Amino acid sequence: MTSPLTRRDFIRGTAAAVLGASAAFGRTAADGQTAAAPAAKTRVVLVRHPDALDAGSAFNEPVIRQMLDEAVAKLLDRSDPVEAFKGLVKPDDVVGIKTNVWSFLPTPAPVERAIKSRLMDAGVDEKNIGLDDHTVRTNPLFVKATALINVRPVRTHYLAGMSGCLKNYIMFAESQPAHHPDSCASLGSLFLLPQVKGKTRLNVLCALTPQFHGRGPHNFSRRYVWNYKGLIVGLDPVAVDAVGLRLITAKRRIELGPDQEVPPVPKHIGLADTKYGVGTADPAKIELVKLGWLDDVLI
Amino acid sequence: MRLARSLMVLFAPLMIVLAGGPVEKLGPQIPKQVLDWKASGPDRVFDRKTLYDYMDGGAEVYLAFDFREVFVRAYADAEENELTLDIYDMGSPAEAFGIFSCDRQDPEAGIGQGSEYGPGLLRFWRGSHFVSITVSGNEDKAEQAVLALGKAVAPLLGPDGAPPEMVKLLPAEGLRAAKTAYFHDNVHLGNRYFVSSENVLDLDPRTECVFAEYAAASGDSGKLLLVRYPDAGRASAAAASFLKSVLPAADADGAARTGDKGWSMVTTHGAVLAAVFEATSKDFAARLAASITGPPK
Repeated sequence: MTSPLTRRDFIRGTAAAVLGASAAFGRTAADGQTAAAPAAKTRVVLVRHPDALDAGSAFNEPVIRQMLDEAVAKLLDRSDPVEAFKGLVKPDDVVGIKTNVWSFLPTPAPVERAIKSRLMDAGVDEKNIGLDDHTVRTNPLFVKATALINVRPVRTHYLAGMSGCLKNYIMFAESQPAHHPDSCASLGSLFLLPQVKGKTRLNVLCALTPQFHGRGPHNFSRRYVWNYKGLIVGLDPVAVDAVGLRLITAKRRIELGPDQEVPPVPKHIGLADTKYGVGTADPAKIELVKLGWLDDVLI
Repeated sequence: MRLARSLMVLFAPLMIVLAGGPVEKLGPQIPKQVLDWKASGPDRVFDRKTLYDYMDGGAEVYLAFDFREVFVRAYADAEENELTLDIYDMGSPAEAFGIFSCDRQDPEAGIGQGSEYGPGLLRFWRGSHFVSITVSGNEDKAEQAVLALGKAVAPLLGPDGAPPEMVKLLPAEGLRAAKTAYFHDNVHLGNRYFVSSENVLDLDPRTECVFAEYAAASGDSGKLLLVRYPDAGRASAAAASFLKSVLPAADADGAARTGDKGWSMVTTHGAVLAAVFEATSKDFAARLAASITGPPK
């Protein structure tokens, strides 16, 4: 007898259907060098530190800066984080940091500040660095940006299944609701918009306090947030989100059981690869490098 | 008699407000303070056009129902712990039950017609209204205030209303009533139970769905999805789509054993489709599916 498609089958299926590795990402280093090491695989770095949050769950900014430095240096195979950032941006770049201000789980300010600081260390003038979320389409700096940094927390989402680096660019869309039907299947197309295409230099998926399940009117309840104390960093937003989904799935399996392990239909990640060609979702084509603290790493 | 008539004249306007109407009219009746929490900031009301301003990315969850408007009031204590009261006018008791039913995971709280409370979140429905009270900050400290506020609001939302008619189709034996969900489209089905990554059942705002779980005393168990379409043709087409996509190896009865997950089955009766999942036997699947012919005798 044939078994019906399960959520796990769905995830495996979309991954197996991948046609090719990332075309648009992983080769955008500002110095012209190939960014990630093996051309056949897209590198994603997971870095964790037990002191990234203190006992009161407050962010430890020096530790988070160190984590970002280590992750970006490893991502680009550089020994020095400033050199690594110089591999991402040029001094004359205009850089928009696309953050996320969702009030319940915003991008942590220490992560935003760490990115901005390293961009300046790499030679970018502070006046050419912008930080925005809801008004990126009209923000003059983002309109003329030559480079984008994509940074936001990882969480589940009622419509999309998961909110990650792909969904973070929905504010670049002329109509956000237009991307909501069919479980937000078209999110990958956002990376082909003229304001965005080819500009994303780095994706930082904050897994410091991920949300693995949604409840209530805003799909948020503190019960389903945990202190994972990690950052997931990559040049390819699809690969970064694919790793983020593995993390959310692993946590849901533990907390909610196998029947609920995959959040509802996060199909946009696979489609960003197979339909829109803006990255790779295939685990076999993702090199996951883990740095730092490994307790309860889950993936 | 004269006194009764006078009282009716006196309280008639109030009764109209209490019976529903624009949610903002509820504002003056809702306490401005509950225990240590005082109302902070202006009351707000959002309708179908402005709900996106309130819910960043989550408005469709409500718009998939007959949502009309929501009244929002925030409360804060001296330590800046916050409570947020949301009162949603869902247009009808069936729709209020629906939005409540799609997200039930906590113990009953005894408020309204159905409720649940877990740390940081109270949800209940009464009449055409759905209410949520959420906490930002110290959830333990807020528990008594959340429950007290809920108990103060519930009487303002009467009278009670009837759950959706479709719920009556569900066989009573073994029904886990607290797991029953009522909704319309694929967004809510996807969050309640994974059937497919595609909308193989052709669900939309005009379809009515009931999803139920069963654990019978006999040891049999299973899950039942009923869908009422605008017409029989769509029900038949959806059943064919389901068989092709989800149960390609189904037998002549529309049933198939689905690996280690038991039996699945699909059948239609007029404009209603019944899909069974994870049934312990084909016989039990058939008994659940037979519910679409009407309430069990």
